[in-house]
Amino acid sequence: MGAKVKTIARRGSTLQERIFLIEIFKGMATTFGHFWRNLLDNSKLYVRHYPEVKPEIPVRWRGRHRLTSHEDGSVKCVACFMCQTNCPAQCIQIQAGERLDGKAEKMPVSFNIDLLECIYCGYCVEACPLDAIRMDTGIYSVTGKDRESFNMGIDDLLAKQGAFTEEDYKKGGA
Amino acid sequence: MSLLDILMIAIRVAFSAFVPLCFIAVCVWMERRGAGFIQDRSGPNRANIFGFRAAGLVQNLADAAKLIFKEDIISAHIKHKFFFVLAPIIVFFTAVVSFGVVPFADTLVINGKSYIMQGIPIDIGILWFLALAGFSVYGIILAGWSSTNKYGILGGLRSAAQVISYEIPMGLAIVSLLIVYGTVNLNEIARFQGELLFGFIPMWGAILQPLALVIFVVAAFAETNRTPFDLAEGESEIVAGFHVEYSAMKFAVFFMGEYVALFVSSAMIVTLFFGGYQIPFLATKTLITIAKPLAFVLMIGLPVGMYYFAGWIRRSNISHYPRENDPRAFEAKWYIRCFWGLIVIVELLLLAILLCQSGGDTINIFVALLQVCTFLVKVTMMLFVYIWVRWTLPRFRYDQLQKLGWQMLLPLALLNIFITSAVVVALS
Amino acid sequence: MFSEGLFYAFSVLAVLGALGLVLFRHPMRGAMSLVVTMISLAGLYSLLSAKLIFVLQLIVYAGAIMSLIIFIIMFLNIQDNDLPVEEKRFAYTAGGIVVLIPVVYFLIKIAGTIPGVEATIVGSGFGGIKEVGLVLFQDWLLPFEIVSLLLLVTLVGAVVLAGKRRVGK
Repeated sequence: MGAKVKTIARRGSTLQERIFLIEIFKGMATTFGHFWRNLLDNSKLYVRHYPEVKPEIPVRWRGRHRLTSHEDGSVKCVACFMCQTNCPAQCIQIQAGERLDGKAEKMPVSFNIDLLECIYCGYCVEACPLDAIRMDTGIYSVTGKDRESFNMGIDDLLAKQGAFTEEDYKKGGA
Repeated sequence: MSLLDILMIAIRVAFSAFVPLCFIAVCVWMERRGAGFIQDRSGPNRANIFGFRAAGLVQNLADAAKLIFKEDIISAHIKHKFFFVLAPIIVFFTAVVSFGVVPFADTLVINGKSYIMQGIPIDIGILWFLALAGFSVYGIILAGWSSTNKYGILGGLRSAAQVISYEIPMGLAIVSLLIVYGTVNLNEIARFQGELLFGFIPMWGAILQPLALVIFVVAAFAETNRTPFDLAEGESEIVAGFHVEYSAMKFAVFFMGEYVALFVSSAMIVTLFFGGYQIPFLATKTLITIAKPLAFVLMIGLPVGMYYFAGWIRRSNISHYPRENDPRAFEAKWYIRCFWGLIVIVELLLLAILLCQSGGDTINIFVALLQVCTFLVKVTMMLFVYIWVRWTLPRFRYDQLQKLGWQMLLPLALLNIFITSAVVVALS
Repeated sequence: MFSEGLFYAFSVLAVLGALGLVLFRHPMRGAMSLVVTMISLAGLYSLLSAKLIFVLQLIVYAGAIMSLIIFIIMFLNIQDNDLPVEEKRFAYTAGGIVVLIPVVYFLIKIAGTIPGVEATIVGSGFGGIKEVGLVLFQDWLLPFEIVSLLLLVTLVGAVVLAGKRRVGK
C-alpha cells in the first residue's frame, strides 16, 4: 500500500527559538491581530447568532424520527420489528396488531420511541424494509419539560411531516 | 483626629479593599470577551437585564447568582473539614490583603497635611507582597491535601512546587530592582520612576531593568498559576487540580482569589516597572503646576474621544442579521446617552477645577484622581497582557517548567544582580 | 491601650499554637498550629516596631519554612493509621507539666524582679530596613559573614548527606 509519510521538521533548536521570547512575541502579534480586527468590526466573527438565526439542516441530518404514511394517510409500518431488533439503544417498543385495510397483514397498535434512550444512530431507518421510519423531520433540538414528553407515541410520530421534498430526500441518499 | 483624617483613612482602605473585588468582574469579562475575539468568536453576550447586556458584563451577574445558589457540597470522604473550608479563605484573603501596600496615587496634601494613598500604611512595601504570596501556598496545599482526591493532591503538589520554586527568581529580580531604587517602599519606588532619564526618557523600571522585568513577569505568571504555567489546573490531565472537590461558593472564592491575585500582581508589575501611578513625563510636581492647562486639554479631548467611541458603539452594537426594529440599536442609543451624560458630568467637574484658584487643595485632589485613573488604566492594560498571553501560549510541561525556573531564570537573575550592583557602584 | 490588647491577643495565640503543635495528633494540624505561632510572633515583633524582623519572620519562617514542612506532610500523605499509637500520651503530658512547674515558677519570679523601667520611645528609624542593614554590615559584619559561612557549610553537608545513597547504588 505504502502509506503516505509526511515528515515534519522538528523546530525549536535554533538559538532564536530557544530564547522563547521572540517566538512568543510573534505569536502574540498574531493573536492581537485577530483581537484588534474583531474589536473594530465584530460583523465578521465566525459565529451563528443561534436562537435567532437557525442553522441550515442538510437532508442527511438525522433529526427526530417520524413514521411515514401512504397517500391515504394509513401508516406504512407493517410491525415487522426490524427496527426494534436492530436498535442498539433499545428505545423502540412496538406492539403489533391485525391490519384490516388490506395493505398488509400487520400494523403497529403502538409504536413508542423513548428519545431519552435514543442515540440517533439511524439504524432503524436503514433497517426498515418499507421506508416507514425516517429521521428527516429536521428537528435537531429536542426539548421538553418532563420525561413523559420525550416518549413519542405513534400519533406523535405520524403527526410531523418531513422537512424536505421527496426528491431531495432521495438525492440525499438516506 | 479630625473628620477629614477619618474620611481619608476610610477612602484609602475602601479603595484598596473594593477595587480588587470590582476588578474581578472586569477581569472575567475581559478574559471571556478577549478570548472570544482572539479566537474569532464573540464570547458571552446574551445575558441581559431588560434587554441591556452591557457588552456581556451581565453574564457575570448571572454566573454569580448561579454560584451563590448552587448546592455547597462537602463530600463525606473529606476528613479534615476545617482545612477544607479554610483553604479558599486563605487564598482569597491573602490576595486581597496583599494589595494593601500598593500606592494608587502620590501622597495627597490637604490643608497642609499629607495623606498616604495606600491601604495599609507600612513602608515595607514589596516585602509584604512577597510574604503574602508565600502564604497563598498554604491555601493551595491545604485544598489539595484535604480534598483526599488524587487529582487534588497532584494539583496541589504541582502548584505548591511551582509557586515555591518561582518565588526565588522573583525575589532575586526584586533584589536587583531594590539596588536601583534603594528602597522597598512602593510609594518611593513610584516617585523615583517619575523622574526622567537623560531628560527625556521616563525612568521606569522597565527601562532601567529590562531583564528583571522579564524574570519578574515570568515568575508572576507562575505565581498566579496562569497559562503558560497553569498546569496546576491542567484540565486535560488532572481535571481541575486542587479545587476539583470544591463546589458552589467555595469554588467561587477560589476563582475570585485567583483573579484578585491576578489584579494584585498586575498592580505590582505596574508599580515596580511601569511607573505606578505616574503619568509618563509628568511627575507629581509638574502635574500640580500644569493642572489647569491639563484640565483644559481634557475638556476638549474627552468629547472628541467620546464621539469616536460612540461611533464604535453604534457600529458594533447591532444585530448582524436581518431583524426588524433592532433592539440592539435601541440598546446602543441608551449606552451612548449614558456615556454622554457621564462626559457632561466630568466636563462640569473640570470646569469647576478651571475656575478654582490655583495651588489649592482642589488641584491636589484633581491630580490625585488623575493618578488613580492612570494607575487603573495601566493595571487594566497589564491584565489584558495576562489574558492575551493566556490565549496565545500553550501549557508548559512540568519538567520544562522547573527547568525554566531553576536553570534559566535563577542564573539570569543572579547575573542581573551582579551587573546591576557593578553599574550602581561604578556610577556612585 | 490598643497595642496592649494586641500584645495579649498575639501572646495567647502564640501559646495556643504551641500547645496545638504538641497536642494535636495529626502532623498537618500540628504544623498549621505552628504557623499560627509563627504569625503571632511576627505580630509581637511588629508591636516592638521591628519592621524588618516582622516581615522576615513572615517571609522566612511563616512563609517559606512552614510551607516546605507542610508540603512534605502532604507529599507523604499521612493517614490516621500511619501514626504511632501513643497510649500513655496524657500521662506523659501531665508528667511534663509537673516537671515544668518549678521552671515556670522561677521564670515568673525572675520576670517580677526586673526593675520597672519606663518604656522609652526609640528613634523613628528603629527596626527599619536601612537601619538594620547598616548595623549589620558595619558593626556586625564579621559575625554576619561567619554565620552565613556556617549556613553554607550546613547546606553543603545536607547535599552531601542526601546524595550519599545514590553514590552507593
